[in-house]
Amino acid sequence: MSFISTELLLLVFITAAIYYIIPKKYQWILLLVVSYMFYTSYGLKYVGFIAFTTITTFLGGIFIEKTAQSGKDKISANKATMTPEEKKAMKAHTKHNKKLICALILLCNFGVLAFLKYFNFTIENINSILTGVGITQRLGRMSLLLPLGISFYTFQSMGYIIDVYQGKYPSEKNPFKFALFVSFFPQILQGPIGRFDKLACQFYEEHKFELKNIQYGLQLMLWGYFKKMVLADRAAIVVNKVFNDYTHYTGFQVIFAVLLYSVELYADFSGGMDVVIGIAQIFGIKLDQNFKRPFFSRSISDFWRRWHITLGTWMKDYIFYPFTLSKPMNKFGKFSKKKFGNTIGRVLPICLADLLIFFVVGIWHGAAWKYIAYGMYNGIIIALSNLLEPAYKLGLNKLHINSEAKPWKVFQIIRTGILINIGWYFDMGVNFNAAIVMMKNTFVGLSLSTLTDNSLFKLGLLKKDIQILAFGCIVWFIISVLQERKINIREALAKKPLVVRWAIYLALIFATPIFGYIGATSGFIYAQF
Amino acid sequence: MEKLIEILKEVNADVDFENCTTLIDDGILDSFDIVSIVGELNDAFDVEISPVDIIPTNFNSAKAMWTMVERLQDN
Repeated sequence: MSFISTELLLLVFITAAIYYIIPKKYQWILLLVVSYMFYTSYGLKYVGFIAFTTITTFLGGIFIEKTAQSGKDKISANKATMTPEEKKAMKAHTKHNKKLICALILLCNFGVLAFLKYFNFTIENINSILTGVGITQRLGRMSLLLPLGISFYTFQSMGYIIDVYQGKYPSEKNPFKFALFVSFFPQILQGPIGRFDKLACQFYEEHKFELKNIQYGLQLMLWGYFKKMVLADRAAIVVNKVFNDYTHYTGFQVIFAVLLYSVELYADFSGGMDVVIGIAQIFGIKLDQNFKRPFFSRSISDFWRRWHITLGTWMKDYIFYPFTLSKPMNKFGKFSKKKFGNTIGRVLPICLADLLIFFVVGIWHGAAWKYIAYGMYNGIIIALSNLLEPAYKLGLNKLHINSEAKPWKVFQIIRTGILINIGWYFDMGVNFNAAIVMMKNTFVGLSLSTLTDNSLFKLGLLKKDIQILAFGCIVWFIISVLQERKINIREALAKKPLVVRWAIYLALIFATPIFGYIGATSGFIYAQF
Repeated sequence: MEKLIEILKEVNADVDFENCTTLIDDGILDSFDIVSIVGELNDAFDVEISPVDIIPTNFNSAKAMWTMVERLQDN
């Protein structure tokens, strides 16, 4: 069932109606049933995968807690007779066992994900190496399909098992309640990646009918559909034409396509998020934000705190901190402080962590060298900016530049925007080589006449379409500026007179199907991950 | 506590560590600052701050960090 369909809207409407009629203690069961119905609509054969993750992670959590408890019990039962050394040994033994269980669950689930996602990529690369060394033997590829949302629900579940291992909260004892956490249908397609301690209480508590939730949820969904259907799917026309036929386009045509990719990707993903968060709100559930006006970022580091936020915070909490605070990294930190001095020495482990994280972010997007390049491009910029920060601050001082002054902030935003768009060559380019060719072609035939001789209207979109895009983007920009100033749009709207509110709602309700490029693209970009 | 503030100032001189109580909530310290601070605190006070300890409650103010360090020293 596509998220852009009347079936989905009907499903949400009917589910919500039942949700608020049935006794509140059964609400979570309804959500579980609907979530599995939704998942099955994509193919019964995939249910096994999500069930596997659900069962292994659920059991893993239970066993980790049992191990921890039995260790504690042994110590308290023998308090009088155990020496401090024996107590320490017992604690270490318990920790070791907990670690084993956690590692096993992580291996199984990330293993399945890695196999399905990267097996063929690995085979292709091995085959290339074999060709390179003159061996004619080839390894065979397998026909593998990705179960719906596997990247998202795996990350969300593995976050849970790591949290339980660290003792952050007790494990969930009800397997069906846990199954809802893994499969909740609004977030299954493309996130946001949630945390158990924030979601569980919401899933299992009783939800009273509140008109505000329904109103705000519907408004957010409407805005999301507008962004997706009017802006994203329209921009996609030019993006696909230029990127798929990349050898024929040069200069400002390429730049135009790259900028439109910014519009397409941002509108598609954030629009999708609005629909998802809006649907969840109808059920009284608050999902985490995934976007915070990313194009107002002042640096690439800032960008990754505003774009796909839940992926970034997952990486931070489950890879960045454990990696940088690990014993080997501690040792490396001490060593590099001795060798390179305190300032650089302190930063080197962080730079290494950056490169690791962004390698993972890159490869998370897909099994292709261009995605690895995309990740490393971001990682290297961040690592370098960390390393050069003292020199950078010195430079600003010498040039008497006030880093908090508005003109400088604007400069930083534009500079970051350029860097972000350069990254898109790798993300949207057909492959790594195509990205490089397109980068070169950008400087071929780079003439301002392209902007005035109508050649930008020959890329698949007519003048009126580009005007619709421009108008939509301006409206979106104004909304973003307001949000950046901490104004809550839906609450501000609620205070306006009825006529004004409904004029806006009706404008969106009619503009979306009328100006929406229905049929152009069938799904959301991030649903493929 | 003064030593702690000294260390914090070394990591980021522009922050008002004496008075601010929303270092994490307001995004004044980012994850790079946190890691630098943790490294320095581990060395200076001979403690082992682990990922579980990296929560806003422990890092929102210099006082909170000091409470965490003292707790880890007692363990």
